[in-house]
Amino acid sequence: MLELVTWPRNPWSIFDELESLQTDMSRMIAGQERDQAGDRGRAWRRPTYPLMNVWTSADGMVIDAELPGVDPKDVDIAVQGNELKLSGRVNATTAAEGETYHRRERPAGEFTRTLQLPFRANAGGVKANYKNGVLRVTVPRSEEEKPRKIAIEAA
Amino acid sequence: MAKTEVVKRDDNSTKVVGLPETGTVYIPDVDISENGESVRLVADMPGVDQQSVDVTVENNVLTIEGNACTPPPQGYEALGREYAVGKYRRTFTLSHAVDTEGIKAGVRQGVLEVTLPKREAVKTRKIAIGG
Repeated sequence: MLELVTWPRNPWSIFDELESLQTDMSRMIAGQERDQAGDRGRAWRRPTYPLMNVWTSADGMVIDAELPGVDPKDVDIAVQGNELKLSGRVNATTAAEGETYHRRERPAGEFTRTLQLPFRANAGGVKANYKNGVLRVTVPRSEEEKPRKIAIEAA
Repeated sequence: MAKTEVVKRDDNSTKVVGLPETGTVYIPDVDISENGESVRLVADMPGVDQQSVDVTVENNVLTIEGNACTPPPQGYEALGREYAVGKYRRTFTLSHAVDTEGIKAGVRQGVLEVTLPKREAVKTRKIAIGG
């Protein structure tokens, strides 16, 4: 189960806490396309990417992931059984000719995150929508697992 | 002029004295770059659209503000929350090299891009060398 975590964005005051928030569920894999100037300017690296909010109902689950400025073509959503795997890449903005960076805090690189669903998913019915930098994935529960109401026959 | 003077960070800027802030205020991650003509500021503000973002300049202080507006899905209950949907705010002190009249801003997929042109007097000029 995901823990309730309100993400503080001020990098310095909570730096120690960040370590404890690391989960083995997610990681930013290498491939950080950052130049030297950028590394100096970037304050910190997120242990969990992307951040997610999760909702549930009898019908299934809705997952929101914060992925600002990502090309939807670069994101893969794979659902198998009771596992949802979200992977892709965030492209770093590249400096045009004559342009130098003073600060590069925005994360870039490849990411993979796997969620265990509390049910078996109907993989064919998964829907994804990307709006304003937030990816919303709707995962329906497989029909045979949905709760059923049993009619009681009168004797 | 040292390059770092162009835009400075002010981490304490979100502590507004006076009325208490309601809800969570986040400091967006930014990339800042510069060329001979202008300074470019790119900020990650997921959940923000063109209508919910404000860019203001007052006394050489640039403020970027936005409200994330991703409504929770209907008929579902929250199971886990790693981020709160709230406000973004960050302020930057501009150098006098920036022409505040010509600032342009746009939002695309939760990313705010602000272009701050430099004043004519400080733009990079190529000097022709007489033979």
